[in-house]
Amino acid sequence: MSRAARLGAFIVLTMAILVAGVFIIGSKQYLFSSTYQLKAQFDNVVGLDAGGDVRVGGVHSGTVRDIVLPHTPGEKVTVVMDLSKSTHEIIKQDSVASIETEGLLGNQYLAISFGSAGKADVRNGDMIASQPPLEMSDLFKKTSGILDSSQQAIQNATRAAANLQSISAKIDGGQGTVGALVNDKQVYSNLQQTTATMNDTMTRAQAGVTDFQENMEALKHNFFLRGYFKNRGYEDSAELAKNEIERLPQGTPTKEFTYSAKQLFDKQDSAKLKNQKSLNAGGEFLANNQFGIAVIVASAGMEGDTQKELVLTEAWAMVVREYLVENFGFDDSQLKTLGMGKQTDAKSDGGWGTVQIFIYPAGTEIPPTKQAHAGLASKTVPDQPVQAVAATAPKPQ
Amino acid sequence: MIDKKFTALAGVNPPQPEKGILLDAPLANPSPGSISKFLEWFGDLGIFFWRVARATVTPPFEFRELFRQLDEIGSQSLPLVALAGAATGVVLSLEARYSLTRFGAKSLLPAAIVFSVIHETGPIITGLVVSGRVGAGIGAELASMKVTEQIDAVEASAVNPYKLLAVPRILACILMLPLLTLAADLCGLVMGWVAQALVEPLSFHQFINSGFKGADFNDFLPPTFKTAVFGLIIGLIACFQGMRTQGGAAGVGRAATSSVVLSSLFVILADVVLVKLILIFFP
Repeated sequence: MSRAARLGAFIVLTMAILVAGVFIIGSKQYLFSSTYQLKAQFDNVVGLDAGGDVRVGGVHSGTVRDIVLPHTPGEKVTVVMDLSKSTHEIIKQDSVASIETEGLLGNQYLAISFGSAGKADVRNGDMIASQPPLEMSDLFKKTSGILDSSQQAIQNATRAAANLQSISAKIDGGQGTVGALVNDKQVYSNLQQTTATMNDTMTRAQAGVTDFQENMEALKHNFFLRGYFKNRGYEDSAELAKNEIERLPQGTPTKEFTYSAKQLFDKQDSAKLKNQKSLNAGGEFLANNQFGIAVIVASAGMEGDTQKELVLTEAWAMVVREYLVENFGFDDSQLKTLGMGKQTDAKSDGGWGTVQIFIYPAGTEIPPTKQAHAGLASKTVPDQPVQAVAATAPKPQ
Repeated sequence: MIDKKFTALAGVNPPQPEKGILLDAPLANPSPGSISKFLEWFGDLGIFFWRVARATVTPPFEFRELFRQLDEIGSQSLPLVALAGAATGVVLSLEARYSLTRFGAKSLLPAAIVFSVIHETGPIITGLVVSGRVGAGIGAELASMKVTEQIDAVEASAVNPYKLLAVPRILACILMLPLLTLAADLCGLVMGWVAQALVEPLSFHQFINSGFKGADFNDFLPPTFKTAVFGLIIGLIACFQGMRTQGGAAGVGRAATSSVVLSSLFVILADVVLVKLILIFFP
C-alpha cells in the first residue's frame, strides 16, 4: 500500500469515527431532527440542567435547551425545551410539564403529559402549564408529619389499651355489674331459675288458653247462649271468609240457581236457614255434574249498615255452602263463596236480597281467595289468577 | 542574529557541553546551578518555539515533507494506538463492572465506559503512546542528524532546518493526534462493549444508546481536540531535544530518552491544565 493510500485510509477512517460520534451525540440532543420549542415556568427546577431529557409518555423526545432565571423576584424560572416534531400530535394546549427524578437519587428530567384529544395544538414557542416538582425535602417533611400523627395514634391506642386493661381487671375482680355477672355464680343461677319459672308459666298459660277456648266453645252450646248463635245461623265468625273469593270468575256460568233470601233464611238479619230443602236442586246438580268452579253469591238489599250487611251476605253464602257440602257429595274445594254486601240490583224480595249459585265450566280461572275479612280487604283485581284444575272435561248435559 | 542564537541553542558551541542534555541538569541532580539550568532550558525551548512558529507561517512550505510525516506519525501509529485503546476499553469494562456492581449501579456501566473513554482515557492513552513511539523516533532521528552534522549541511545549503525538519513533524503531530484519539476511542468502546457482552449479553446499539445517554458535544469534541495540544508538546519537545543533541552516539541515546520522558511528562501535566480549562469553557 502506498504511503498516500495508507494516509488517506487513516484519515477517512478517523473522520468517519468523528462524524459518527458527532451524529450519535447530536441525535441525542435532537440537533439534526426538526424540532419545535416549548416553554414552561416553575418556582423551582430542583436541579434540572440544560441538556436534560424531556420525556413525553416516558419516551425521550427532546432536550432542555435553556433554563432562564427570572429578572424580578416575583416571577418564575422559565425552562425552554426542544421537542421532536413527532410529539406534535400528542402535546396539546392542556399538556402539563413536570420535573421528575429518575429513581430516588437519579437525574432530573422534564415530563410532559399527553394533551386531550379535542384541544388545540401547541405552536412553536408556546408556554404550557406546569406542575410543581416533588422535592425530597417536602417528602421528608410530609413523612415526618405522618410519623408524628402515627405516634399520637399509637399513644392513644396505648392509653385505650391501658383503660381496657383496668376495665378487664375490674371485671375479673368482680367489681361492678358486669363483674358481678361474670364472677358471681348466684346471678347466673338466679337467671337460670327465672328462665325455668318463666318457661313453666308459659306452659301453664298455654294450657289456660286451651281451657278457655274449650270453655268458650261449651259456652256457645250452653242453654243461655245457644239461642244467640242459633239465631245468628253460624257459630264462628272466623270461618266467614274462609272460602270467599275476591270477585266472580271471568266467563259465563253454565248453570245458575237463584234463591230469594227471604225464602231461605229465618230473619232478615240472620243467617239461620229455614227452608234449606229448596237448595237441594242446586246441590244435586253439583253432585251429578262435573264443573270447574261454583260460586255462592249472596247480596243484600239497600237497607241497613253497609258493614253489617257485608258480613251478613258473607254469612249467608257460608251457611249455604256448609249445607251443600254436608248434604251432597262433591269436591268442596271447588265451591266458593262471595258476599257482595248491599247491591242495588239485588232481586229484592221485600228488600232481603238473594242467594245465587253460579256454576262455571272446567278451565275457568279461580279468582284468588280473599285474604282477610270482607270489611278489611279491598276488592282489587289480583295479579296472577289461579287456573282451575279440578275437572278437565265437562259432563254431557 | 537569530542564526547565531540558533547555533548556541543547538549546542554547536563546544564550550558549553553541560547545557546540552536536560536530564543531567535540572531534574536528575538538583545542584546549586540546576535551577538556572532549568530556567535556561525553558528559555531555550521558548526561543525554539518562536523560531518554529515563524517558520510555520512563512513560505515556502514543505508540503512533501509534511505529507511524509503525516503518514509516519499518523497512519503508522494507528495499530499501536488502536491496540492500546482496545486494551484500555477492556480494562475499564472489567474494572467498572466490578466497582459499579458493588455500588448497585451496574446499569450505568455503558455510560461509565463511554464517558471515561471519550473524556480522558482515549486522549491520554493516545498522547502517551504517541509520545513514546513518535517522540523517541523524532528525538533519535534529529539527534543523529545533529551529531552527524547533517543539520549543519542543511543550513549551509541555505535551507531553514526548522522549516524542513521541525515544522513538518510538529504540524503532523498536531494534526494526527486528534485523529489517532478518535481511533483509540472507537477501539476502546468496541472492546469495552465486547468485554461486557461476554459477561452479560447486550447489543452494541443498546450499549451505545445507553452509553451516550445525556452526552453532549462538550463531552466529546473538546477532549478529542485537546490532543492537538499533546501533539504540539510531543513534536516540539522531541524536535527541541533532538536538535540540541551533543556528543555522538551517547548523545543520540540521551536525546531519544529525554524526548520520550519529557514529552510524556508534559503531556500529563498539560492534561491537568486542559481538563480544568475544558471544564471552565465547555461546562
